[in-house]
This record gives sequence, structure tokens and C-alpha cells, in this order.
Amino acid sequence: MSIVRRQFERLGIDIFTWGPGGPLECQPDVALIDDEFLPLASPARALPGRCPVIALLGTETPSRLKLVLELDPASFLVKPLRSAGIYAALVMAFERTERTNELKQQVAKLEDRLRSRRVVLAAVLQVMHSHSVAEPAAFALIRRTAMEQRKTIEQMSAEIAANGSLPRATG
Amino acid sequence: MAVDEINHHPDFDFSFTPHVRDPRGVITEYHTVCDDLIRNAGVEHIVGCYTSASRKQVLPIVERTDRLLWYPARYEGFECSDNVIYVGASPNHNVLPLVRYMLDNISRHVFCVGSNYVWTWETNRVTRELVTAAHGSILAERLLELGESAVDHIVDEIVRRKPPVVFNTLVGSSSYDFIRAFHAATTAAGLDIPMLSCSLCEPELKIVGPASAGCITSSAYFESIRLPENRAFVHLWKARYGEASSPSVDGQSAYVAVYLLARALRRAGTSNIGEVRRAAAGYRYNSPQGPVWIDGDNNHCVLTPRLAVSNTQGQFDLFWEAEAPVRPDPYLTQLDVAAGSARETSRNGSSPSAPHLRVVK
Repeated sequence: MSIVRRQFERLGIDIFTWGPGGPLECQPDVALIDDEFLPLASPARALPGRCPVIALLGTETPSRLKLVLELDPASFLVKPLRSAGIYAALVMAFERTERTNELKQQVAKLEDRLRSRRVVLAAVLQVMHSHSVAEPAAFALIRRTAMEQRKTIEQMSAEIAANGSLPRATG
Repeated sequence: MAVDEINHHPDFDFSFTPHVRDPRGVITEYHTVCDDLIRNAGVEHIVGCYTSASRKQVLPIVERTDRLLWYPARYEGFECSDNVIYVGASPNHNVLPLVRYMLDNISRHVFCVGSNYVWTWETNRVTRELVTAAHGSILAERLLELGESAVDHIVDEIVRRKPPVVFNTLVGSSSYDFIRAFHAATTAAGLDIPMLSCSLCEPELKIVGPASAGCITSSAYFESIRLPENRAFVHLWKARYGEASSPSVDGQSAYVAVYLLARALRRAGTSNIGEVRRAAAGYRYNSPQGPVWIDGDNNHCVLTPRLAVSNTQGQFDLFWEAEAPVRPDPYLTQLDVAAGSARETSRNGSSPSAPHLRVVK
């Protein structure tokens, strides 16, 4: 651990050590977790929260790796620790976490769109009916209205579905 | 014993100077002691370590200083260092035949009891994979801390649930306490539940006493192996350590390790690590446990797996052994969980049948 401490000091990173069962009095930016302490006791399990985890591996046996994977580590270091590798593991952990978070946001957005597909469909049908137009024209109308009102197609569709009609065209 | 034999043997034109250190099983001591051996005693070859935790302490030093560790113990695999010769059994020698035997002949439903450390975790994982592939189940997986003697709650659970078979991967005193309590409780309840082990050895049977009889055990070595090399070995062992003393698989393996080292040194004609390692590869030695040699691809030992059942005389009655020495598979890459035992034996058995054709570069 003294190697990590020294290397972290050089990198300007403050260290808090935390043993199994003990309270955690900080919101860490990154957590190094030794595979010897796995599985973490249940109160400690939530402690690292959303911060990236770097796993410290003492063995490569699959049974141990399975427990390590439960931490969803962003990076790892093999024990015994050396000064080389610590910086790369940190960079990799932060980068990996950032990319994963971006992906998560993207997935959330896509899921949201998927959910609102029914609403868009309902709005298209409504406009086709009220304006006696075909589906492409109805969709184009909704899209143009949404653009004019600076809303998303999903938001616009929800309004149409709720009001039962297209807002008066302005253009 | 092996060192004395080699030093007095006319076939070896060199002699060993042993530097003995005893870290007493204290894990952090292994690093200190190994460092002292290399730095101060100038040692090139180290025979020793039992637990994986101790081996992991020594590993970085022998790698950094390019020495060879001759590691006699069986272990759970998933390691392969150029600076270690793994003389004990690999997981495919040890766990695999035992679980296959259980699935074929006892039951597909097993109750696992073990010590809370890497050997048990990994043994249980392999067991779970094999058992699940055979549509069986792990009825329970109970772990005790190393040295823990409170075993009654587990024995009570076994008596209550009456599993068809118990797999014991406890080590040391926990195992002895468990076997005694298990024997007493199952006898009192009129139950006959077979127990499996892949680490029990003759000296442990003596410690446990009569309660240890009937345990189905997997090992590369038993004192009862009927080979002339083993008879001679046991005779010399008893002459040296007393008639009541029995060699364990690990005692025998340490002896084998020293012989593998001596023979490789003689063949290489130098103590240079790289040349000794190359000389050891594929160089067959008729040891007490039968023919063994080092697989040059992974530095693990080719050896013959055996199954036996312990008797009331503190010995093992052998009932199965592989037809030929089996190549080590430390990462279990050859393991086909869905395959039956017959297929695997024939495949493993066929590959090492031409061991002398190995090209030594």
C-alpha cells in the first residue's frame, strides 16, 4: 500500500483507507478494492457508490474473478503492486467510467424514445384522420410543427394525443 | 532425505548444500525468508511453500531475481510462472477424477464443506460446473474460516438434510474436527453418507483416528501404492523417521521435487536456471508415485491421478488410477464439462503416450 500512497501523492491524490466494516467518511473519486476483502460486507457494498473501482488482484482463479466482476471494476492492478501501472490504471478507470456513463445516457435516451413510439403512432393516426392525409404527410406535419415550437417529436406527439388535434399551423 | 541420498549417490557428481528456513506458516514470513535465501545465502533453487498464499509471497522475488521455486504441493491452478516448477497435482489431476467418480457412482447432488480460502473457492467452482452440466445440484456450500473448530452447526445441517454425499475441502484442524463430529453424528443417526476429499493424507488419518475411515480421496500419492520404487521409499522413510511415521503426499512430493531438480542439474551440467528448466522438461523419473516428468509447455508435472478410500488402519485402499500419466492442465482448458469421464480419460491418456518424442530446444 505504501507504493500506492507514494504514487498517489506524486499525482496529487488524497488517500483515505477504509477497512471492511469501517465507516467511510468521504465521497471518493475512485476506489481501490483489494480482492482479499471480497465479497464486501453488505453495509460496505454500497460505499464506493458511483465512483470507478480499480480491483487489486492477488490471484487469477475464476472463482475470485467472479467476485471481482461483481464490483464492475473500471480497471485493475495485479499484486504485488509496483509504481508502474498505477497511473495507467487510474487514467483507464476514469476514461472507462466516462465512456460507460455516456453510453448509459444514450441508452436511457433510446429507451425513452422506444417507450414514446406508441404516442407518436397515436398522434400520426390522429393527424391522418383529421387532415385526411397519408402517413408520410402526417408525420412531416408533426415534425414541422415540433420544430416550429422547439419541441421534440415525442413531446409534440404527446400533446396531440392529449388534445385530440394538431395545434394550429402557423406557417 | 532426498538431499542426503543424492549427496551420497555415485550417480550425482555434485552435492547439495541445503539452507533450511522455516517461516512456520506465517504468510508474511515467506517473503522475508525467501529474500534472505537469495540475497544472503546465494541460493538458486528453492524447494518449498504449501499454501497458495505463501507461494504468491515468494513468486515476485523468484521472478525478479530469476530463481527457480520447486513447489511440491497440489494447488488450484490458474498460475504459470517461468520461475516455478509445479511438482504437485494440477486441478485436472485432483478435483476432476474425484467429481467424475462421484457423478458416475454416488450421486449428482452434493453438500460442500470447505475452508474459506482460494483452494475451496476454486474446487467448489469446478465441482459446480461439472455437477450442473450433469444436471445435478450443489445442495449447500458451507465455508469455515481457517482453523475454525465450531463445526457442529454444519454437521447438524447434514444430519437433518441427509445429503447423498459430502465433499470436504476443509484443511488442517477444521477438517479433523469436522470428520470426527461428522462420523459421530452420522453414526448416531444411523446414516451412511459418503465423504469426499482431495487433500486427506496418511498422517492426517492418524491425527483424526478411527473416525477417518471411509473417506474417498483423490491424490497422486498414497503410501499403499504397489510399486517397487514406493516400497523402497517407504522403507527408507520409516528407517529415518520411525516405524510409526507415514509419508504424506506432500512429503513424498517434496522428495520427488528434489530428485527432479537433481536429475535436471545433472542433465544440464550447470545450475543455470534456463538450462535446468529445459533439462527438467520431459525428463522422466520413476518416482515413488510412478513415472513423472515436467511438461515443458507449462512447467507443471505429468503424473498419475488415483482414487482411494481410507481404512481403519490409517491407510488408503486404492480402487482407481489413470491408465497412463496425465498431462497437467493448470487452466483447465481441456475440460469439457459435458463430456463423460470415459471420453476425457481416453483423450488425456492418449496424449502423453509418446512423451519421449518431445523436442527439447
